[in-house]
Amino acid sequence: MVSSLEKNDVGLDLKANYLARQARLASAVFTQYTQEKVDAIVKAMTIAAIEASPLLAQKAYQETKMGVVEDKILKNLVACEFLYNQVKDKKTVGEINVLVDENIVEIAEPVGVILALTPVTNPTSTVIFKSLACAKTRNSIIFSPHLMAADSSNLTAKIMYEAALSAGAPKGFIAWIEKSPRLRRQTELLMVHPDVDLIFATGGTQMVKAAHSSGKPALGVGAGNTPVYLHKSADIKASVNDIIISKTFDNGTECPSEQTLVIDEEVSDLVISEFKHLGCHVCSDSEIEKLGNIVVDGRNKTMNYKLVGQDAAFIAKQAGFDVAENTKILLCELKGNIQKHKLIVEKLMPVLGFVRVDTLENGINRCLDVNYAGGTGHTSGIFAKDENVIKLFTNSINAGRIIVNSPTSIGGLGGLYNNLNTTLSFGCGTGGGNITTDNVGIKNLLNIKRLPHRKNFSVIFKTTKQIYSNPGSLSYLKELNLKNPFIICSQNAVKRGIVNQVLDKLPSSSIANVFSQLTGEPDWPCVESALAKIKEASCDSIIAIGGGSVLDLAKIVRLFYDHPQLKLSEIAISFLDFRHRMCEFPNDLTTKLIAIPTTSGTGSEVTPFAVLKDNNKHVKLSLIDETLLPDVAIIDANLTLNLPESITKDTAFDALTHSLEALVSTFASDYTDGLALEAMRLIIEALPKVLKDPCSIVNRHKLHNAATLAGMAIGNASVGLNHAMAHSFGAVFDIPHGLANSVFLMTTLKYNSQIPNKFMAQSNYPQWIADLKYVRAFEYLGLYPELSISVDYTNESFETRQKLILGLRQKIYDFARSCNQPLSVEELGISAHDYEKQIPSLIQTTFMDMSLRTNPGYPLMKDIYKLYQESYPRRVRP
Amino acid sequence: MKATHEQIFIIPDVLDKAISEVDSCLVKNNSKLSIDFKNCQFISVDGLEWLEEILVRADSKNINVTFCNLKPEIYKVFKIARVDVILKAIGGQTDFAPFC
Ligand SMILES: [Fe+2]
Repeated sequence: MVSSLEKNDVGLDLKANYLARQARLASAVFTQYTQEKVDAIVKAMTIAAIEASPLLAQKAYQETKMGVVEDKILKNLVACEFLYNQVKDKKTVGEINVLVDENIVEIAEPVGVILALTPVTNPTSTVIFKSLACAKTRNSIIFSPHLMAADSSNLTAKIMYEAALSAGAPKGFIAWIEKSPRLRRQTELLMVHPDVDLIFATGGTQMVKAAHSSGKPALGVGAGNTPVYLHKSADIKASVNDIIISKTFDNGTECPSEQTLVIDEEVSDLVISEFKHLGCHVCSDSEIEKLGNIVVDGRNKTMNYKLVGQDAAFIAKQAGFDVAENTKILLCELKGNIQKHKLIVEKLMPVLGFVRVDTLENGINRCLDVNYAGGTGHTSGIFAKDENVIKLFTNSINAGRIIVNSPTSIGGLGGLYNNLNTTLSFGCGTGGGNITTDNVGIKNLLNIKRLPHRKNFSVIFKTTKQIYSNPGSLSYLKELNLKNPFIICSQNAVKRGIVNQVLDKLPSSSIANVFSQLTGEPDWPCVESALAKIKEASCDSIIAIGGGSVLDLAKIVRLFYDHPQLKLSEIAISFLDFRHRMCEFPNDLTTKLIAIPTTSGTGSEVTPFAVLKDNNKHVKLSLIDETLLPDVAIIDANLTLNLPESITKDTAFDALTHSLEALVSTFASDYTDGLALEAMRLIIEALPKVLKDPCSIVNRHKLHNAATLAGMAIGNASVGLNHAMAHSFGAVFDIPHGLANSVFLMTTLKYNSQIPNKFMAQSNYPQWIADLKYVRAFEYLGLYPELSISVDYTNESFETRQKLILGLRQKIYDFARSCNQPLSVEELGISAHDYEKQIPSLIQTTFMDMSLRTNPGYPLMKDIYKLYQESYPRRVRP
Repeated sequence: MKATHEQIFIIPDVLDKAISEVDSCLVKNNSKLSIDFKNCQFISVDGLEWLEEILVRADSKNINVTFCNLKPEIYKVFKIARVDVILKAIGGQTDFAPFC
């Protein structure tokens, strides 16, 4: 692209500056126009264009000696009347579209100053079209006409401008480069002028290329070479008629016009005789040879521009043979490998190639030969009644417009034969080196501003439907009428006699199968063996009795029992936000799941989560979906009476962590807050009493309920950083989940109560309020009397809040110490060396853990590193 | 010593022509000229050209011209029009290379 100023460009430069400057001022002023004012201007311009259409067609023909005056009149009318009809009610100013479902408003702005290149083949219709499109979109336009058509193009621009001006358009919004030998050079200067915003190039390949390499955004067009498939299912007579109308339109100057026909052999004789009957000439082999020599420029294998838009008899004469004066089209059969035939190229004149094919596949392949001989992205056509044939053709062909059972040239223009946008500018996509395959129109001349409103998510609270919560509630099993239950439990539950208790509570007619092979946390092989057993027994329900691991296993077994086609790898995909996640769960589980927890910790009986150990990768896979929620939960504290002290403590600290994390979660709601706070209070009240008197059913009952309440809280608000760290750490060092949670508790409490280095980006969490939430916990737990520092409750200052949070941290510390619960990694007996070695990989898995997504602060990896380091040494009271 | 006189002109609702008072102010050699756009709802190409002209003239006479009470719709027109002297009068840079 030539852009620098040359010596003899001085005068030109001034002219270019003047044109661009006028256009720029006009474009600035145009931004103030309302839709009504714009529409009035467009209307006045359309009336002027309709009136001037015959005159302008005449002028174009006189100047270019191309095409047919009558067809040029038609084209001019299409460019104004049809375009007007299509755009008159369209909004192009301000708010133009409201996308209700997406909650987005679209606002239109002009693109600014447009430099428009216009072609020799359609010198007046293109100017009419572009002027109207620019007025409708409040853009300024500078026309750079084709040198051979500059007078008629500029006359058109002048008529359009004057009509617009009298209707109130801004002064200078349409301008044109005067005809002169330096027109091309002036166009080049404008192409790189800082006041030009967009180049809208319709014309020869060279100019379009120059536009694209100017560095400005450009709407270009590609070259055409339209293949048309005439399938045997088509209405032959109507098809031939359409093709003749199309190919003779303006003597073939329209670039979407038919170039080579591909005809099914079965109907080809009929087709050819119909063409002959309607006044076309079928050339002999020698005539084709002669035509090839003059229609195609031998040097660059493109069409001879001197013959563009000439009539058939004239072209035949130039080739050296005579045809009847009114001959409509010269038909040339392309034989042999058509890819190498001279006449396969675009011929914007009434010369039409054709080829006969014996099969559908060959038909479409020959169309592709034509398509890829210089016309990709542009236009193609098909005549067929068979929809499958049309579909196959459509899938194969590379064209922005696939015109079906209609003339491709007038069809491509849009409006007359179909509802395509009326245009004189055919986008060809990347096939033609363009940015769009559109029939370029007003929508391409707007900058659309999008105003997305913040997403508001509905808050849904979901949990297990039936929850029996009193001691002794195991007896409700009888009422559930289970005929053939599959009992999933741990070996321990069998040993402790719990399974027998359950079997006793089932109706005598029930046939139960027991699966008790789970040791530790479930993995996939364990799921598979349970699945094999349940399938064999064809059970109607699953009873899960045990801790979190057993309940999780039962949830996964039920899912795969009901939906054996599911793939674990497709439902255990990590996600950023569950509302946008890619995994899809079924929602039609029929096997009833009854969850009976025997520990007071995970709350799995009321959560939509299940965790599966991946033994190979030492990570835990989390499955999350409401479909995993059990149907019934039986919270019978009698089943926890014999629980060993260590499990009682670890699971209680898991539940305590649940309540603390759910409280500050970015998904917390009033519903989950209430549950979390009460769970916290019950645990702090009941655990020490249970540790003193493990058989106290009253306190076991409180602890058992607390775990379920906290489970309901995390089932809806999820957990946070503490769980992310505990999951990673627990998997590597094989530490029970609750215990792993407790060693990070003091670290994450402190971290989450401080203003985070980075906030969590979540639409439903507009303000960081974690510190306020901890203050609420402080208040709910009634810690004021224990606080040695004096606090002014009415002063909600940051300092006050921090004092109260310190009080909460001290309370949690004292509580854990009173229960002898380890609070750091060192207290677990893990060596500093072993721990340090694992930290880099722990950081990675922690960062990717889904629990982190709902943490109120967004820790960076370096923060996570610090948190792991802080969690090692023995804790001291905060 | 030169006296400092500041004159204020209020632009009418549609600015599309020269305002003779402003011309006479430029002739009188006041050192400050303030143009108030509070009533201005629309500015035409002629209006922009006139503004440019008086700003160039004021500049040559060392008269400091300031604009006040510009509505965003009008301010936007100035930004898009990229007329050097107008950009200067609104306190902006005149180098208008596009940025993103
Ligand atoms: Fe947990």
